[in-house]
Amino acid sequence: MDKLMRNKKAIILFIAPALIMFTAVLFIPVCKAIYYSLCNYKINYHPKYIGIKNYVMLLTKDKTMKIAFRNSMFFMIFSIVTQLIFGLILAALLTNIKKGRNFFKNIYYLPCVLSSAALGLLWMFVFMPRLGINQMLATMGFFNGDCTLGPQWLFSTEGYIILPIWVISFVALWQYVGQSMMLYMAQISGISSDIYEASYIDGCSKRQSFFYITLPLIKPMVATAMSLNAIGSLKFFDLIYNMIPEGFLSHKADVIATHLYTQAFKFSKLGYGSAIGVILLVLCLVMTVIINKFVKTESYDM
Amino acid sequence: MKMKKFLAICLSAAMTMSLLSACGGAAAPAAPAADAAPAATEEAAPDEEPAAEEPAADEAASGDVEEISFMVWDDLEASEDLITKGYKDSIDRFNKDFEGKYHCTPITTNLEEYYDKLNALVAAGETPDVFIVSPGANLNDYAMTGVAAKLDDYLADGWKDTFTSDAVFAGGTYGDEGGDGAGIYAVPLNIAAACVFYNTEMFADAGAEVPKTFSELLDACQKLQDKGYTPITISAGTAWCLSMVAGYLCDRNGLNLDDIKTHKTDWKDEKVINAGKQIQELSKYFQKTAAGDDNDVATAAFYNGEAAILIQGSWAIGQINGSCAEGFADKVGVFAFPAVDGSSADPNRVIAKSDSLAMSANTQHPEAAVQLMKYFTDDTAQKYTAEVGGKIPVTNVQYDETVAPPELSYVMDVFKSASSTFGFYNESLADTEAGSTFDNCFVEIFKGEDPATALDPIEDYYEMNVWE
Repeated sequence: MDKLMRNKKAIILFIAPALIMFTAVLFIPVCKAIYYSLCNYKINYHPKYIGIKNYVMLLTKDKTMKIAFRNSMFFMIFSIVTQLIFGLILAALLTNIKKGRNFFKNIYYLPCVLSSAALGLLWMFVFMPRLGINQMLATMGFFNGDCTLGPQWLFSTEGYIILPIWVISFVALWQYVGQSMMLYMAQISGISSDIYEASYIDGCSKRQSFFYITLPLIKPMVATAMSLNAIGSLKFFDLIYNMIPEGFLSHKADVIATHLYTQAFKFSKLGYGSAIGVILLVLCLVMTVIINKFVKTESYDM
Repeated sequence: MKMKKFLAICLSAAMTMSLLSACGGAAAPAAPAADAAPAATEEAAPDEEPAAEEPAADEAASGDVEEISFMVWDDLEASEDLITKGYKDSIDRFNKDFEGKYHCTPITTNLEEYYDKLNALVAAGETPDVFIVSPGANLNDYAMTGVAAKLDDYLADGWKDTFTSDAVFAGGTYGDEGGDGAGIYAVPLNIAAACVFYNTEMFADAGAEVPKTFSELLDACQKLQDKGYTPITISAGTAWCLSMVAGYLCDRNGLNLDDIKTHKTDWKDEKVINAGKQIQELSKYFQKTAAGDDNDVATAAFYNGEAAILIQGSWAIGQINGSCAEGFADKVGVFAFPAVDGSSADPNRVIAKSDSLAMSANTQHPEAAVQLMKYFTDDTAQKYTAEVGGKIPVTNVQYDETVAPPELSYVMDVFKSASSTFGFYNESLADTEAGSTFDNCFVEIFKGEDPATALDPIEDYYEMNVWE
């Protein structure tokens, strides 16, 4: 191995495919997006350099961007908190049951592998005013039996965080909690049973061993899962796009990614869309740095 | 050892090939037609130069068959819309008649995502050979940037004479008259007029009369509501449906869009504010789920007999008759959108819209593309448009009025008595974003926001992007 590591040709050869791919599909597009974000660039037109005008417009005058930023931040905080709590609870429960562990693991993880587009449509029908939940509640006697009097789950625009955003947050939690659960389970399974046994001998209860052994030892995974959740929820797009057809809520349910899509593809403003993309990229980087800085992790030999 | 080396080389080669195959290879671009790429006009984009699109490679061509693509905003296989079925029939006839010479492959998507997908294909240099389009801001972009081809030369072979008049091409004509790029960029397929469809049985039962003025419309709605009917079904979810009513109300109040464009007035004009207030008055009679119903659901509420009035374009005839119960068509009446009381504006103007076909300026098979377009405007297709689809044909075709849906004759009455036509507001403004902003403003007004403040976004948009 040492001989191989001293062979520069071998190093270059092995790194080259990944480096070429990374450069071609990520680095160059990011650089181009940064350049386009400084241009007035519409579909069918050549880009024209305009300096930071797009950013000034975006950060000072674009009201939809403010809404999108607020909704994205809400999604992120909601996702981080709820997936941390529910993911941990599910992981702790499933690692402690003997029968049906794989069955429940698959059930909880299943939504993760399903198409978000299909799930978005499915949940849209569930929350439509005349279908799904409202109709079920109406047949149970709620709303005087008239489903149209039920809550406008996906179409109410009242409140600081509007009801559709709450609804979609819960759907996202349902869809992705399995992923957090799997990450935590993988880490918990790696903790040696000797440590638990030693703690029980010392008089620890199961609850105490969870808080004093499990939690500290899975902290690195908590940081990873939180980073993944933060990035995933900041660039969240598919469920919103599919559950709330465009134009339904006058952009009140927009998040940063849907705002980007609307500007770049509906209004053909590729330069402005690129500026939104760059801001999204910066936000993801900042959140990752913050999480890694504040969730301090130490490596233990497990 | 040698075997290992051989395997390593094979695997490396396979990996390299798989990487390179993803990059694809486009054929050398052919020079676009000289008259197909007009210079950008000041109106389209003051200081921007259109980018020349590289033609898509003819990857699908097999043998001598010229393969062309056609993009449409509905699912040709699954749709119940009779007009869409007519489009499918035209393509099938084309493919059958030109078997072995030309072949058309449709690209389908739903209406809401149509322009997004088309723009993405244009940006990727894969513009469909023929694509359906509404004249307005979208077609303007394609015409002025060399995406759509000028069709005058193709129409000059006698094809143009088959149309009812030159006026049907007005929506698809762009460029300054006499200028290099001026010409016809889209061929109309049919015309639809926005009217008020009503259930004659419900009206009779409630004792409501066909209204001539806005206050009479409110009276009729009140009578219908008192009788237990849902007076109006509309979609505020699909914003353009509500925006269509808003456009009518603005026009009936006397708003002239040119005055907005030239900044003689603005979006806080009393006429627009009045239109907003009238939308709020009218919204008391909408179905309770109007905010969340999409266009299909709202239309279905009409043909399922759940609501008495549907304010919609006459394209809805195809949708209604493709899905309603037998005999429902006989219950449907049509009247023109009523005048606003006290307004001096012309109450006989009608919103009209045509589905049109444009051809890619960079198509490698212009002859095949034009032939396909002719199949959409031949007698068979146009007869179908009137007799089955219920839309107004654009050619001089003779159709059997006794076979055509009864609603079509009512729409024709409205259309014939119209003093002039105007386009959908959201397609007649400065650009697509302005249209979308207008739609959203009226959705907010419908939801109860004060019209004076709800119109801020469109006012701001014009301040920043149009009037400056």
